[in-house]
Amino acid sequence: MLLHLKILFRLSFCNRLHLLALALVIPLFSLAQEQTISGQVKGKNNAPLEGVTVVLKGTTRGTSTSSEGRFTIEKVPANGVLIFSYTGFASQEISVRGNTSIDVTMEDQTASLNEVVVVGYGTQKKKDLTGAIGSVKATKLENENPGTVQDILRGNVPGLNISQINAASAKGGGDLLLRGKSSIRAGTSPLIVLDGVIYPGDLSDVNPNDIATVDVLKDASSAAVFGAKSASGVILITTKKGTGRKPTITVNSNFGVATLAQNEELYDGPGFVNWRSDVQKSRNVSSTKLYIFDNPDNLPPGVTLPQWMDGRTGDPTEIWLDRLGLRPIEIKNYKAGKTIDWYDKMFQTGLRHDYTVSLSGKKDEVSYYMSLGYMNNEGVIVGDEFKTIRGRLNLEGRVAKFFTAGINLQFADRDESQVPVNWGQMVNASPYGEIYTDDGLLLRDSPNDDIGNNTNPFMDNTYTNRLQKYNTLFSTIYAKGSLPLGFSYQVNFTPSFEFYRYFNGISAQHLTYRVRKGVATRTTKTTYNWQVDNLLKWERAFGQHQFDVTVLYNVEKYQSWREQMDNEGFDPSDVLSWHNIGAGIKPIVSSEDEISTGNALMGRLNYTFKDRYMLTASFRRDGYSAFGQQNPYADFPALAVGWVFTEESFLESVSWLDHGKLRVSYGLNGNRDIPRYQALSDLSTGKYQYISPSGAIIPVSQLYVNRMSNPDLKWERTASFNIGLDFAILRNRISASIDVYKKATEDLLIQRLLPNTTGFDNVIANLGEVQNKGFEISLNTENITNPNFSWRTNIGFWVNRNEIKHLYGPVNLLDAQGKVIGQVEKDDIPNRWFIGHDLDEVWDQKVLGVWQQAEKAEAAKYGLAPGDFKVEDVNADGTYSDADRQFLGFRSPRYQWTFRNDFIIYKNIDFSFQLYSSWGQLNDYNQAKNNSGFQDRQNSYKFPYWKEATPTTDYARLYSSNGSATYSVYRKTSFIRLNTVALGYTFNKKLLQRASIETMKIYANVSNPFMYSPDWTYWDAEYRNRASDGVISTAIAPTVYTIGLNVTF
Amino acid sequence: MKNRFNKSILILSLAGVISGVSSCKKSYLEPQPLSFYSPENAYIDAAGMRAALVACARNARIEYYGDNPPILTEMVFSEVTAEGTTDKSGPAQDLNLLITPDAATRYDDADHARLQYYWREGYKGIKYANTVITRIDDAKYSSEAERNAILGSAYFHRALRYYRLVHQFGDVPAVMVELNFPKLDFFSTKREVILERMKQDLEFAQQWVTDGVNRGEVTKGAVSHLLTKVNLALGKFDDAIASASNVINGGVYSLMRNPFGATKKNVIWDLHRPENKSLGENKEGLFMLIDRFGDGQFDGGIRIMRQAVPYFGTNITTPSGKKGTNDAASSTAITGFVSQSNLYGRGIGRARPTNYSQYDIWTDPNDLRHAPGNWMNMEDLVYNEPGLKTTNDPWYLKNLQLRNATGGILCVDTIRSWFGWPQYKMFIPDAENTPMQGGHTDWYVFRLAETYLLRAEAYFWKGDLANAAADINQVRSRAQAASIAAGAVNMGMILDERARELYFEEPRKTELTRISYIFAKTGKAAENGKTYSLNNFSDVNYFYDRVKAKNNFYATGIRTIHNDQYTISPYHVLWPVPSNAIQANSNGTINQNKGYIGFEGNVPPLDKIPD
Repeated sequence: MLLHLKILFRLSFCNRLHLLALALVIPLFSLAQEQTISGQVKGKNNAPLEGVTVVLKGTTRGTSTSSEGRFTIEKVPANGVLIFSYTGFASQEISVRGNTSIDVTMEDQTASLNEVVVVGYGTQKKKDLTGAIGSVKATKLENENPGTVQDILRGNVPGLNISQINAASAKGGGDLLLRGKSSIRAGTSPLIVLDGVIYPGDLSDVNPNDIATVDVLKDASSAAVFGAKSASGVILITTKKGTGRKPTITVNSNFGVATLAQNEELYDGPGFVNWRSDVQKSRNVSSTKLYIFDNPDNLPPGVTLPQWMDGRTGDPTEIWLDRLGLRPIEIKNYKAGKTIDWYDKMFQTGLRHDYTVSLSGKKDEVSYYMSLGYMNNEGVIVGDEFKTIRGRLNLEGRVAKFFTAGINLQFADRDESQVPVNWGQMVNASPYGEIYTDDGLLLRDSPNDDIGNNTNPFMDNTYTNRLQKYNTLFSTIYAKGSLPLGFSYQVNFTPSFEFYRYFNGISAQHLTYRVRKGVATRTTKTTYNWQVDNLLKWERAFGQHQFDVTVLYNVEKYQSWREQMDNEGFDPSDVLSWHNIGAGIKPIVSSEDEISTGNALMGRLNYTFKDRYMLTASFRRDGYSAFGQQNPYADFPALAVGWVFTEESFLESVSWLDHGKLRVSYGLNGNRDIPRYQALSDLSTGKYQYISPSGAIIPVSQLYVNRMSNPDLKWERTASFNIGLDFAILRNRISASIDVYKKATEDLLIQRLLPNTTGFDNVIANLGEVQNKGFEISLNTENITNPNFSWRTNIGFWVNRNEIKHLYGPVNLLDAQGKVIGQVEKDDIPNRWFIGHDLDEVWDQKVLGVWQQAEKAEAAKYGLAPGDFKVEDVNADGTYSDADRQFLGFRSPRYQWTFRNDFIIYKNIDFSFQLYSSWGQLNDYNQAKNNSGFQDRQNSYKFPYWKEATPTTDYARLYSSNGSATYSVYRKTSFIRLNTVALGYTFNKKLLQRASIETMKIYANVSNPFMYSPDWTYWDAEYRNRASDGVISTAIAPTVYTIGLNVTF
Repeated sequence: MKNRFNKSILILSLAGVISGVSSCKKSYLEPQPLSFYSPENAYIDAAGMRAALVACARNARIEYYGDNPPILTEMVFSEVTAEGTTDKSGPAQDLNLLITPDAATRYDDADHARLQYYWREGYKGIKYANTVITRIDDAKYSSEAERNAILGSAYFHRALRYYRLVHQFGDVPAVMVELNFPKLDFFSTKREVILERMKQDLEFAQQWVTDGVNRGEVTKGAVSHLLTKVNLALGKFDDAIASASNVINGGVYSLMRNPFGATKKNVIWDLHRPENKSLGENKEGLFMLIDRFGDGQFDGGIRIMRQAVPYFGTNITTPSGKKGTNDAASSTAITGFVSQSNLYGRGIGRARPTNYSQYDIWTDPNDLRHAPGNWMNMEDLVYNEPGLKTTNDPWYLKNLQLRNATGGILCVDTIRSWFGWPQYKMFIPDAENTPMQGGHTDWYVFRLAETYLLRAEAYFWKGDLANAAADINQVRSRAQAASIAAGAVNMGMILDERARELYFEEPRKTELTRISYIFAKTGKAAENGKTYSLNNFSDVNYFYDRVKAKNNFYATGIRTIHNDQYTISPYHVLWPVPSNAIQANSNGTINQNKGYIGFEGNVPPLDKIPD
């Protein structure tokens, strides 16, 4: 706390002004007329509900209902609003409107439209929403024990994709993408808002156990209140708050194991030798003596041993293995029949622990929630580990009757020091290799003594001494108060810190660093980010007119400081590594500091008439320092309307239709997610050396213009149109939301390709337009609602289509005489961007099949042999070029769906399972070429391959040639994944009372137990990524089995 | 009443909050770069300008350093080497198939030809030089001489790039000013027009740039040397003789003729030792690239042994049928392991010498450049595989042999694993890689020996064979090779001497193309009896005839064990302009060379330098 006060005083003058203003405002708070209110709360079948929390909105004051469901709450203003909440039921807000007695019937959560949804800078009842918002109650996923925020969202929000590529490690996680890729160059991650304030940190620092709800703002109007940061959507995370007068201690403890979800087998010893024999035969395709690669003990008919020897003398087996490229160590082990199962050495069953203890409650004027969590996950790859300690304190106190202050504080200590084994090397290593040198202690540099082609997969893991830690502190200190006439005011001050350390030492025992006598680096980076939000709200009803106005003024500043020291050549030894970085002989120091500033002004009106006509209008103006100085500001307006048509009299008689609402919204969103100094020209520095006439080394520094400046750079703008329909039918048995949208992103932040004769490859610019359109359906059904058995289903389905509308603008079209005869807009061929096509569309040379033996002569024209891929020569000119490329499909899914079922059996058994699927997307499958790496020196996964005797059409021969074609082979990565299966058992309350336990639940779950991908056979179809630079990476998918215990005292 | 009063105060105070903040707005959003310089605060004095020149010098280094250095591409488009990587698709072997504008765009990496490097980095070097040239009068200097020396150095660097570009790509866009806006309307300018401008710039530089500066900086000798090449390219042979003589007779430079430096073994060995190249007593280097251990920001050194030494650690079998060689730096399997990679580096045989460069040109047994110890042959290596010792194989530590007693060949890939190399150039001790690949060393870009050969060439073009022979013999006598007679001088003979002296130093393809242009321009008969013309330069030229005749890989269409065939065509005299440059140039036309896709879209090249 002291720390924060200090920070408050360190604020710039501007921000002190805010605080001063706040001080001025505080004495003006005053009280309206007050009264005591009592009533009864009932649930289904009019049964009284005990323990329902009743809180006066805008305060922390409240009570809970007695065993008869009764409550009394004092000093409630006549215009006050009471909030009723109870687990399993939807919260309700009831306006007092001068009443002193209020009876409430709580409605089951799913059927309810009174549920409160967090929207930007406030909350709204679901029924009053005008935008497209997806909500996930994290507390309902307890049985699934989500390990990350991403796990909470995955498959639970239509339109939101969460990539698996970064989720595979022990850390978990994944990149988020909402409603398709709308930017080419700028970031596409949604904005994260944590407890009402913009969160700049890492999602892994938020303990999923602390999360109450996650809401996803999908359409422009909902997101527009976040202006320049909202174009990729907004994810609002709300953490738990203390409720109930009695302090509650919750312990959630679970234990799990992670295992390989898929296998991709390597050849074992005999299979390996057999494969290598085929490799040599295919590689020496023009040879007439291919039999020399056959096993001398098993020669083909008609070949004699002397023939086979081919002029060589010695032991035939040794000669044979030598011809196959086996090294002495491999030959020795082959003869001894000794093999290594590398696969087994690379992967493990990872143990996972996750413990969270929280204490929460509300007493008198203070509500509190505090938690401490420890997580330690091992990955499925040996050496992969993730550890974090996370703490949270949410504290709110009523300072005066009209004034509340609080703090939300999050601390995390994240340890990412892991150095997993280099599992990719297992393909290069031989099953007849060795891990250790002959002394059995030191690692062998290369398992089969073939340095340069393979290194020991344990090398980095064993000889790296790494500390990589992030310590983060994210806090919000806020004060809010109710003012007369429905006004309220809130100020948030949000400082956040990240302290990063990357200390890495590579031992002199490591092959690559041996002669360098060890290398070490020591990097620290401190990031300090603060924001101040001033929020003025006005909420008032005049008859059937309800107004809710929000005004925001925000200021922010980002600062970071990074220092790096590198050294090598440690003398006398490198045992101290980075602890004594000065002991080396080649010190290099560097630093990099950054700063950026922003501010924003926002106003929003929510207006409701007769509870059936709603309107939301908002306007935001944003300023940011990273843009060209011509355009530091941008404006983002939005408008949305909603119509609850079932409230109209003409539909009253339609008994099967319980609820229906039409929503239409339009708005502008911005994207400012580019590096901070991108608009400025920078001078690159770098070191060089001269030698003086006397022979001394003179270090010199270079300077050159690295980046072309663009003073006109501005924000990327996305204009979105969304039409939504919400309805509930058959007594709320079936409810659904359908949204259709069209997003046009203009002034794309793009690295415009330049002719490199300028000396620049590109310049950042605002050009072009990308359009995304699609629809989303979310369908919930109550299939069975018996007291002893209930079954609920959620289905999500969504489709997104992307199209490049414009790129760099029209250029003159000239005739043969150089006269302008029109204008045309050109595609960006080097970047593979085509107007009228999807950003993710594949434009490449097309594989028609494999050249077969009968086509030998034809293949030779392309420098190829039978067994090589036959690539379509579209213009039949005998060589391959861009003219032979065509559109082959899409890298992004054509459609996606989720399917979730929840069962409650005998009131205390919960069972659920969830599937999700992406369909129709392509990915590179160059494995089919059978020519990656050096096949004459390595092992391989078991892939099919073409042989003259057993020809294939979808896989090439071993060591195949690409000829002059520059292409990738593609396969569909369509899949259906069974994502989670969870089972929970809640103990009977009466039994527990004796042990002073309030609730106790045990649960077990499996994540990713099964997946189906009909067209893909290389590891997991979804765990494959193609970076913007075209680099493909594959991650290893785990299946995680967890058992857990959740106890509340 | 009270409420209303409060309300008005409230609104006032909130207005105060907002306006109070608004007043700070203007400067609040100004970007503040903290850790990098801007052109406005850096290019203000001689120090800033010299730092810009460092960028030029540093940029030049990339051509020779790192894995698959671009210079290898220059060498495979010539008589001296072929691409020796025989285990994958992509390396520049079947040039007819692989050398395309699209491939040049897509690939600039260790597995492919480096055409894109020359194009892109060429124009980057021009950009760095143009920064100095355009801003020359924005900075303050101690004297006019200092200003002009800096300007002259920048002219040198620019001319160096254009000299290369016009002989690699023919007519190219001429950019003579710093560009700070997205220019999209380039047109190609005629090669001769660019060369004329370079001649003019270098003549200015020759007056102002001085010798005796730090090694790595531009010297007067380097300027005159480059001017000689430009003069030759323009067919101005007298000017070429004059500019070459400026260096040869300037009194600053001389050929090293005796053992010297830290090694004092023999002059050829000493001349190419890392510790001797930039020594004060070494008078031969005109323009040097510098790379020493320390913070020169070039990790891993030159790696030349990896490129130019055969892949001797594999593919070689003893007559007893066992794996014969090992390229590890050490072995834990046996004591007394003989590490040959500590003597020669771990080669992977990328730069495969041709019969021409490893056998045919070495006719003089006294030539130090091919003397035992300086030059290595495979038979100088021994069977050192530890497995031979543990099995008591009699061949252990015996010298390698290509065939066994019955004539059976004992190396399954002689392209990659069996050839000789000039150890005096390639041996660069390496303190950073295990096994060694070639460590930190300086490198000669221009050396006086080449100046002699350039002047010899100028005399040859003029028909003054006596003087030509005299210059060639300067270089030969230093290597203890016998003199040649004037009557023996022809272009092929000069090229042979260049191959002997300048292997892995000269940009061989650039020089061959330059010479081909001169043949085409002068109509002088070549040693093969043919004459050439500029009219059909891409169809019939000296470059192709020479390469096809001398490079046995292309001559006989050898196939690698990966089944790729070595091919080359006359149009390879000019490389394809990478298609991305053409495609991104929306409002103009950068011409493509004949023989490549896109040639049909050409427009007549400019005959002037655009403003």
